[in-house]
Amino acid sequence: MSIHLGPVDYLVIVSYLCATMVIGLWVGSYVRSGSDFFLAGRSLPWWAIGMSLVATDIGGTDLVGVGGDTYRYGLVMGNFEWIGCVPAMLVAGFVFIPHLWRCNVTTIPEYLERRFSSSLRTVVAACWLLLMACNLGVMLLASAKFMHTLAQWDMSVSIVVTALLVGIYTWSGGLRAVVFTDVLQGVVMIAGCLMVLVLGIYEMGGFEPFVDKVHDAVHARRQREKESRPLEEFAENGGIERTRESRSDRKSNHFSLVQPVDSPSPGPWPAILFGLALVVSPGYWIGNQSIVQRSLGAKSEYEAKASYVYGALLKTLIPFMVAIPGLIALVKFPELGHGEADRALPMLVGYLLGEGWRGLFVAAFLAALMSSVDSYLNSATTIYVNDFYRKFYRPHADEGLLLAIGRWTTIGFVLWAVYFAFQLMVVPAGLYTIFQTMMSFIVGPTLGVILLGMLSSRNNAEGALIGFIGGVFTSIGLFLLNQDFVADWLNIEPLFRIGQAYLYYSIWAFIATILLAWLFSYFGKPDAPEKRRYSISEWKPFEEAAP
Amino acid sequence: MTFLHWIGETIREQLLHIPMWVARWLFIGLLLVLMGWVVQLPVAAVTPPGRRSQWYEDLRIWAWLALMFQIVIYSVF
Repeated sequence: MSIHLGPVDYLVIVSYLCATMVIGLWVGSYVRSGSDFFLAGRSLPWWAIGMSLVATDIGGTDLVGVGGDTYRYGLVMGNFEWIGCVPAMLVAGFVFIPHLWRCNVTTIPEYLERRFSSSLRTVVAACWLLLMACNLGVMLLASAKFMHTLAQWDMSVSIVVTALLVGIYTWSGGLRAVVFTDVLQGVVMIAGCLMVLVLGIYEMGGFEPFVDKVHDAVHARRQREKESRPLEEFAENGGIERTRESRSDRKSNHFSLVQPVDSPSPGPWPAILFGLALVVSPGYWIGNQSIVQRSLGAKSEYEAKASYVYGALLKTLIPFMVAIPGLIALVKFPELGHGEADRALPMLVGYLLGEGWRGLFVAAFLAALMSSVDSYLNSATTIYVNDFYRKFYRPHADEGLLLAIGRWTTIGFVLWAVYFAFQLMVVPAGLYTIFQTMMSFIVGPTLGVILLGMLSSRNNAEGALIGFIGGVFTSIGLFLLNQDFVADWLNIEPLFRIGQAYLYYSIWAFIATILLAWLFSYFGKPDAPEKRRYSISEWKPFEEAAP
Repeated sequence: MTFLHWIGETIREQLLHIPMWVARWLFIGLLLVLMGWVVQLPVAAVTPPGRRSQWYEDLRIWAWLALMFQIVIYSVF
């Protein structure tokens, strides 16, 4: 089932797109230099950055995917926005982001060169550039698939039009355009989702009846599964479902954020607490250039901190808007199986919303998509220009040249993203999954070297480089050992019991990075004082450091 | 079973022994520790520099509020 869009819906969607373009191009008219393009001239206010952080973090596919996963597994998906964001954002906002802002860097790899070495900068930049370039294509394709399901839009047209629109305003205004269009996109996204939430809860007769109906729907689904499957299959899931079945109060785990170790959901509690809250989330909010870059463009250190705190407050609301509709859909459409759960949200929207309002929801989806694509586009450009072009080719390039190169590179990445999205349409689904898992390969090692660099002056450049490379290989190795075809080839069981084990890859990659870096640093020479002064404990502003 | 499987299985079995209420308190405990840390941050690190700040410009209040919401959420769900 797809959403039927009428003329009023299209009017709403076109109005939103026009508003986005007007804001992006208007802001872009003030861009005069490379510094304006990459860091918005360090003039961004906290409220715009905070909203932009949240809008960037929620992609179009997340909006529909989280609804689908909540339909399948319950409110546990809210962990990815709550404990999977808020603690890390606050620690990042008070400790790490201000230090990066004080160091006056444009990219995370640039900081790693100042603190450690040029080699580490290049390796980290190459890994993130590869990830971002691939992600651009993945996001365009995934969103085009959703738009096809949602509104029967042609996938090829969706890919080209989205890339073109995002490309134009990012080309024009760089980071400033990205952040201010994100503000509009964030408002539209929140309004669209809030509308579905409020109408859905009203339809259920209030919150308490809604909770009871969810428990009943899960109970009924379990009964159906029990009748259609032999008992042995329940035991294969660690007996989780049998245990729940024996409960007499008919309450399900669908409202529980803390799930058992062997839960079939993507969020058993050790993975959420140790993998998500302590590794992936800090790595994402401290080490992901597309997130951190906007705070580096804040007008002051205080505004950089305030943006993260404001973002953390906004994050508290997000699961209510993106996850709860999945539970409402579970009550309204209990017949969907696990395989069709991603249809839950589009079906709910089609059922709840009238003409015009459906257009607002589609606009919210487009807003979520565009706010993520523009950030990755701008950050990929920033890394390429600063960490490769300027570093290796034109170290003394003036601001005008950097602006021109930045804009040309943006065009290059737009073309690449469209090409890659079309290529992904014809590759096997397994390869597509690999690209979606790539973040988990580098986020743990990136966090490891940043923490070691900022919190300790004893770790040296060789240790950090070996630690980072070792961490990346650890996560890739674990990923491979968890694939069925590799396990069959080696005649072993897949390494992890849960299907989506990317949180576990990140934990072990982080641990490997820390151990290797510490070991090689312990037996090696300490870095020179001009490197060590970029750690937080030995930080000296430039004027103090000068002889 | 490889060495890696053995490590994973050992950790998994140990984690299985942890009751769910303890797991929930680990989540809440993490948030409580952060609340304590936020409260003790120096005033200079959480207010705009170079001028007398208003009460609402103290970032500790908003960080504390965000963590309070989290504690309520993890206590209820």
